[in-house]
Amino acid sequence: MPVIKVNQRDVHIQELNKGAAETVLLIHGMFSNLSVYYFNIAPVLAADFHVVMYDLKSHGMSERVQEGYDLHSMTDDLYALMEVLNLDKVHLAGYSFGGLIALKMAVRFPERLKKLVLIEVPDPNDAETRGIIEEYSREFLEHYVANFTDTTKVKMGKRQMDRNHRMYEYLFEQTSIKSDMVQESGFFDAPEIHRMEKDTLLLYGSASNCLEAGKQLNKKISRSDLIPLNGDHNIPVQEPIMIAELISGFFKN
Amino acid sequence: MKQFITEVIGEEFVEEMDITPESSFTKDLEMDSIEIVSFSEKIKAHFGDQIDFTGWLSAMDLDQLIHLNLEMIINYIYECQSSK
Repeated sequence: MPVIKVNQRDVHIQELNKGAAETVLLIHGMFSNLSVYYFNIAPVLAADFHVVMYDLKSHGMSERVQEGYDLHSMTDDLYALMEVLNLDKVHLAGYSFGGLIALKMAVRFPERLKKLVLIEVPDPNDAETRGIIEEYSREFLEHYVANFTDTTKVKMGKRQMDRNHRMYEYLFEQTSIKSDMVQESGFFDAPEIHRMEKDTLLLYGSASNCLEAGKQLNKKISRSDLIPLNGDHNIPVQEPIMIAELISGFFKN
Repeated sequence: MKQFITEVIGEEFVEEMDITPESSFTKDLEMDSIEIVSFSEKIKAHFGDQIDFTGWLSAMDLDQLIHLNLEMIINYIYECQSSK
């Protein structure tokens, strides 16, 4: 398992096709990990690109960290990762919370990015998103798993339920993630997003609660295209090959 | 193979399990995706370039991954080794 030190912390990364001329960096979402890309999306991209995936702090196999979940800190982490891996300029794709990090990266460090793909990026000001963060409990997780994970087809057993609960509990109770997210509620209104000039592809599920956020971003980002796909917020799991091919085509052109 | 599984999910869970070739990764061993990534890294580290385990997994859709069992992996490794 490749674990590297970035700012004195352990970060789990996976790389494919290291010799390729251009690099695609993939950022997963909150409470998820790099496996959302590893099995289907990354191998398609690796036909043409060097692909780098990493686990965000306290996610997947990366080290647990109590603070620094605001977008400024998360992009500091990504910048440091690029430095360690000697990546000068990359194509960047992010899913959900990872998409917020990708967008912030484009705003802060445009010189380090080529093109941008944002998948199912939520509006941090959305009441439902904030509600989940505020109301989390073991009962919430069990209810969520019983009722809302049907579109990912994965049934969670006791060990996984316990494992997930421990992660949620750690993030919600022992880290600054809640307050850091509240700080970001006005991010979509940042004037820098209007000024951002990267070619941007927005991929959203046509039945997703986040689609409105995609429409907002499409209006705000000057060089963007929005493509709705069949599915909901879980489109990377529902349509991985289509997503991989769209990303690959966009980065290649 | 059991050693790799133990390293990924922990001895205390493996002791309670009856691991057989029919054991499925997601249902019986209750591995989630990141644990399968970790398991696949161990296979790669052990067998090296002899087998393209990640490439083999990437050809599977979600249903196939959910039903992936130990026997399928063992057969795949045998196939790779016998074709060398």
